[in-house]
Amino acid sequence: MLVRRRVAITGLGLVTPLGNSTATTWRALMAGRSGIAPIRGFDAGGYPVRIAAEVKDFEPRTQGAHHKLLKYAVRHAAFALSAAAEAIDDAGVGPCAETANRWGCVAGSGMMGVAFDELAQFQRRFASGGKLAAHALFDPATPAPDPIAYARNQANAGLALLVQRFGIRGYASSVHTACASGGQAIGQAMRLIRRGGADFVLAGGFDSMINPVGLAGFCMLGALSTDNDMPARASRPFDRSRNGFVLGEGAGFLVLEEWQAARRRGARIYAELAGDGNSLSSYRITDSHPSGDGPIQAMRWALADAGARPSEVGYINAHGTSTLMNDRSECAAVRSVFGPHAARVKVSSTKSLMGHLVSGAGAVEAAVCALAIHHSQLPVSANLDQPDPQCDLNFVREPAASCRVGIAMSNSFGFGGSNSCLIFRNPEDAAG
Amino acid sequence: MNDSIVITANGAICAAGAAPEQILRTLRDGHTGFAPLREWDSTTWPAPLAAGVERIDPAAIFEDRKLLKSVQRLRRTDLLGLYAASRAVAASGIAWYRAALDEGRAAEFDEATAVFTGCGGVAYHYQYDYLPALAAAEGNLRAFGERLSQSVNPTWLLQSLPNNVLCYLGIAYGFKGANACITNHSVSGTLAIIEAWHALREGAADRAIAVGHDSPMDPEAILNLYHLGLLSIDLVRPFDAGRSGCVLGEGAAAMVLETRVAAEARGAPELGAILGTGVTTEAGGVLAVRPDGDGEARAIELALQEAEVAPSDVGLIAAHGNGTINSDLSEAAAIRRIFGSEIPPVTSFKWALGHTMAAAGAIDAVIALGCLRAGIVPGIATLRDPDPQCLPHSISASETAARGDIALVLGRGFGGMNTALVIKASPDGAS
Repeated sequence: MLVRRRVAITGLGLVTPLGNSTATTWRALMAGRSGIAPIRGFDAGGYPVRIAAEVKDFEPRTQGAHHKLLKYAVRHAAFALSAAAEAIDDAGVGPCAETANRWGCVAGSGMMGVAFDELAQFQRRFASGGKLAAHALFDPATPAPDPIAYARNQANAGLALLVQRFGIRGYASSVHTACASGGQAIGQAMRLIRRGGADFVLAGGFDSMINPVGLAGFCMLGALSTDNDMPARASRPFDRSRNGFVLGEGAGFLVLEEWQAARRRGARIYAELAGDGNSLSSYRITDSHPSGDGPIQAMRWALADAGARPSEVGYINAHGTSTLMNDRSECAAVRSVFGPHAARVKVSSTKSLMGHLVSGAGAVEAAVCALAIHHSQLPVSANLDQPDPQCDLNFVREPAASCRVGIAMSNSFGFGGSNSCLIFRNPEDAAG
Repeated sequence: MNDSIVITANGAICAAGAAPEQILRTLRDGHTGFAPLREWDSTTWPAPLAAGVERIDPAAIFEDRKLLKSVQRLRRTDLLGLYAASRAVAASGIAWYRAALDEGRAAEFDEATAVFTGCGGVAYHYQYDYLPALAAAEGNLRAFGERLSQSVNPTWLLQSLPNNVLCYLGIAYGFKGANACITNHSVSGTLAIIEAWHALREGAADRAIAVGHDSPMDPEAILNLYHLGLLSIDLVRPFDAGRSGCVLGEGAAAMVLETRVAAEARGAPELGAILGTGVTTEAGGVLAVRPDGDGEARAIELALQEAEVAPSDVGLIAAHGNGTINSDLSEAAAIRRIFGSEIPPVTSFKWALGHTMAAAGAIDAVIALGCLRAGIVPGIATLRDPDPQCLPHSISASETAARGDIALVLGRGFGGMNTALVIKASPDGAS
């Protein structure tokens, strides 16, 4: 039988509310520092929610010729370019003439295109009464629109910029399943390497919905915590008093590489990306069934895909949004999949510190799992003072000195019912 | 040749018809369905035409009234996607098959059913819902925040999710398997088919619904494409010396793919099989297209290789052929690079369907399969004067015979994205 190609994680790059690099993000996580604060990017004073986990003091990591690409990048695409540049630097390998066709890129892309300022300007010019005067768009006196703005607003503009910036010429795809996007992108990238469709993949997710339209969308659904007066405590996954999630923004990218090739070049391997499970909850657009049906299948399939038993899992980076429905359904799912081991496996939600990065969440949290394995350290689930009795898992509430992780799991569940589960294996335990 | 993943049913809707057979009929009759855009007053626009769908019959989507009520609130692209997908599911008979299973086996069936969708993502006009609130706020962001819910539908975000077709197909039929929603411009629909096919090959599911859907005709898209020189003001003439661009269209197509084992287990007839796929990017930027067609040539190479099919086995090429100067020229270069002087009949459907963007690849795949089964290659009815640089001897204004039972379906999108699909038709009566 053919030996299955395996996948190594050899590079990481992050832009998060906790820091604009992998190292700064990890340090903040280990220190239990919160990235949530009053919104600075715009005047949110009229909104019921005025806090978020914004990326701070962002300076794009681009030089020379590549700097021009930023004209084509909306805020989250700029995050993506920076995180990806860090990941490729970190991996010590990038596309070159010989390998460009064997490099792929899969990105979980945020849904928002047009920047708010552009929308506001558009309204002033063409919809002064609130209704679009479509004929005015084509009035001969109206100047031609800016093609760069049009390019920037395409749903796959982020992907297009990533492949252009790094010269990737193989498989390229952009996916969006709301909060599961980043996880699904990485899972798809893993499968692409396994099936021989690429030897290297730049995989991740990026998003920013902290703008007047994005924030409005979540506010109107009542999904966000309104604890404006205590931002650092607002995200309380699994706590009895939780009252919604906190919107975050940022990007996470991983360099994935065929295992043997990575070994041959002596690459530092953070972890083996060993399993991927994707399911549909098929219940409601915003929730999974309280029994955990949906997430249960994603976790089981990911474990089976990795050839791992539940009892081998040492750490779960939970989806843990800090909403009642998600947290309870996820805990029920963990109990169902892990049985008696559910009481032992360590669990945390890093959304407690960095908020919910939406399409970027699954990718950033995948990097967190790789780092937990690499550093033998676990991030805490912050603000968990009184666990919900229905969320009775073994949460990481205090930083531990050292904790070797054999297998880590990352969950990401999205609006629309898509569930992603990824499995990471300690490279010391991965034969070959 | 690996033909273990078979196509057992299709559905499609676009300006040319509300079913695959009807669309093929329109193509063979040489009709175009272009008309002035209805949703907006386009009378003063320099490029007022679009290939819109006249009517989507919502009752044909789902029987469940409650579900139908919630999907009727969705965006047009989603209604189109759900329409095509529900037609494909109905034609496949899988829902009937599932209904006869006992509870345990029905649950296994649901978990082994994957759904892959491809769409255009959030369109400009979704954000027009905020224009009244913006106008009322007169530049005061605080006032905007305070009064939002007076004019914007509170479920705006859910209505605007790119993955709604995925979500509602799951809820409607109970499918729970592997899934993805692809938002990669005009190759989204093809990528949905490609990823579904791989999921089945890898054993992640036994069957998959793959859907591409889009309704891209919003005023700003038309304005920008017009100024970029990509829109025709009247007809679309792929590969014609006088071509001047594309016309936007809307639509959707869906395929039910199954492992042959699963199809045989329920006695489903096979329409065809997908044999190979290729995906590349040219990495030249969002709006760039390489003149030498390198990305598309490499995609074709990959797809033929994966299919273990020689260029001479290809019976017809359903080209992307969007009627723009550069895309057609570079596509012709790509086809020449792979096929040399032995180019099979080439056609493009966009002269009749318009450019349905994210849906285009899926519609083309469904129609190409219909062509193979009929043994024909529809002509490009708008062709007057074949561009000498665009495969003049391989295209025709009138219908020709397919050279065999294998089609190559090509797709291209912004970002230098290129896809190729190799599809084989099953002989009639095969099961």
